[in-house]
Amino acid sequence: MVVLEGVSKSYPTAQGKVEALHEVTLSMEKGEFVVLCGPSGSGKTTLLMTVAAMLHPTTGSVTVGQRNLYQMSSRARAKFRAERIGFIFQMFHLVPYLNVVENVVLGAQAAGRSGGSVQARQLLERLGLDGRAHHRPSQLSAGEKQRTAIARALFNRPKIILADEPTGNLDGDNATSVLGHLSDFHRNGGTVVLATHGERAEQYADRVVYMSEGEVRS
Amino acid sequence: MTVLNLVVKELWHRKVNFLLAVLAVVTAVAMFIAFFTAGKASERETARLMLDMGYNLRIIAKDTDINQFLLTGLANETMPEEYLEKLASAKGISYNHLLATLQKRITWRGVDVVLTGLAPEVCPPGRAKPPMIYSIKPGELYVGYGVAQALGLKEGDAVDIEGKAFTVAKCLAESGGVDDVRLQCNLREAQEILGLPGQINEINAVDCLCFVEGGDPVSILRKQIGLILPEAQVYQAKAMATTRAKQRQMVRNLFAVIMPSVVIACGLWIGILAIMNVRDRQQEIGIMRALGYGSSRVAVLFLGKAVVIGLFGAILGFLIGTGLAFRFGPDIFKITAQTIIKPELALFVRSVVFAPVFAAISSFIPAMIAVTYDPAVTLREE
Ligand SMILES: Nc1ncnc2c1ncn2[C@@H]1O[C@H](COP(=O)(O)OP(=O)(O)O)[C@@H](O)[C@H]1O
Ligand SMILES: [Mg+2]
Repeated sequence: MVVLEGVSKSYPTAQGKVEALHEVTLSMEKGEFVVLCGPSGSGKTTLLMTVAAMLHPTTGSVTVGQRNLYQMSSRARAKFRAERIGFIFQMFHLVPYLNVVENVVLGAQAAGRSGGSVQARQLLERLGLDGRAHHRPSQLSAGEKQRTAIARALFNRPKIILADEPTGNLDGDNATSVLGHLSDFHRNGGTVVLATHGERAEQYADRVVYMSEGEVRS
Repeated sequence: MTVLNLVVKELWHRKVNFLLAVLAVVTAVAMFIAFFTAGKASERETARLMLDMGYNLRIIAKDTDINQFLLTGLANETMPEEYLEKLASAKGISYNHLLATLQKRITWRGVDVVLTGLAPEVCPPGRAKPPMIYSIKPGELYVGYGVAQALGLKEGDAVDIEGKAFTVAKCLAESGGVDDVRLQCNLREAQEILGLPGQINEINAVDCLCFVEGGDPVSILRKQIGLILPEAQVYQAKAMATTRAKQRQMVRNLFAVIMPSVVIACGLWIGILAIMNVRDRQQEIGIMRALGYGSSRVAVLFLGKAVVIGLFGAILGFLIGTGLAFRFGPDIFKITAQTIIKPELALFVRSVVFAPVFAAISSFIPAMIAVTYDPAVTLREE
């Protein structure tokens, strides 16, 4: 369902090009829970971003559900992200001036679905955030921020959730809770690709893909 | 959440940025409004003063004996009456209320009078104003105070001048000037009586000094009229009007320098704020785009913000600018009648339209640049 073929990505910098991905060819099945494991700087974030239709690879193609992402128009890619992708960032990336509920429904609005704050509240309850619905991100703990981000990703009913070190800034309990929610999503038929440099996530994985220096070593 | 909702929440979140941006707009708009409100008031006052003073331009035939003219107030030479039309229909002129007369000293019933034929007052096309002087129908005679006294004339009397029959339509009130010894009738009849068909010897007009571009108003006017009527010469009643015109000219020149600098400075200021705002909001742009908001929807957020800033700035700027005009206008523009300063609603409309557009343009560009990048790139920027 997700197919990367010969994907390379290099970033131009003042010191010359940095090749973050080198000829990555990889496919993931629908409903699979894949853990991308590799040290920092091995290209995990770059790979997730290309799958999320958020970053043009330098060469190669990324196909998700028959759609060649980087041959679509920018507008179509945005629509694709809105409808298909849930992304969880290591740095949470919540909108600072919106409260928790507003952050959660923001993505659904991009997909053209409006309202839904009742469902959003139910989801927040499930994630243990019901008391936090009207708090700003700056008033939340890291764990609460990440659960808000998960709520935002789930709320859109995506086909795929891409999670970039979602537990990287969390303590043990919060990390377990976050992984639990991703696992629930997977149990209900969702595809999950999770990047990590630790071991913790591997127990949830159908498959672990190891990365180093921009290459996949399965 | 509507766009407006998001815009307002962001404004509230970054209050200082918002206030600084509004301040920039307020400064530009207030300067503009203050200047124009006071300037307009000054123009209105000048125009009113000029009208109060009556005709201040005298246009006479080229060969008129100037000594004679200045001594007696009468021009001894005539010119064709078509000159009136020529003057009235010329483009880009600053005078109005054109009145053609034919005047000549005659002795009537043993009294020295000035027979004055009046053509109806003419205004240039598109600049019609209520006439400043009556127009006299054929067969009617308006008798000056002195003549009426000397000859015991009263309204309704039938008289004749050189064989032409008239009815005294009006005996005029005492003026203390030459008007007291005038017999005024229709131009056509005066021409017949004096045997000067199609001739006039003076055109009076009111020059508002509104369009004076710099330099001495009289010489400009002479040049202007000289182009239209090479066969005429121009006298202007020099008055405080000239000083006023110069005064206003000076302020206007000053303004020509200050205003562009203020607009440029405020434009840069808003632009820099917008760039800073976009930099602050890289993350947010990245998030919105990552969530699947199209570039246009992100752009709308920034435009919406700019429009709110522009509207706030325009309204506040208008109020402050009008206040400044009331407070400082009289000093700077030498306006004597404070009441003549009034809020200029046309300017309000203009600022409410242009300020948001201006603010939108200056914040639109940095926002548009930001959305052209892949969301991942935007999110990377810290
Ligand atoms: N915007 C960028 N500009 C330059 N180099 C980058 C940029 N993003 C990532 N890199 C480099 O690409 C490599 C892979 O980065 P990344 O995909 O973030 O790896 P990981 O997520 O596994 O830590 C690293 O060497 C990193 O320094
Ligand atoms: Mg990373």
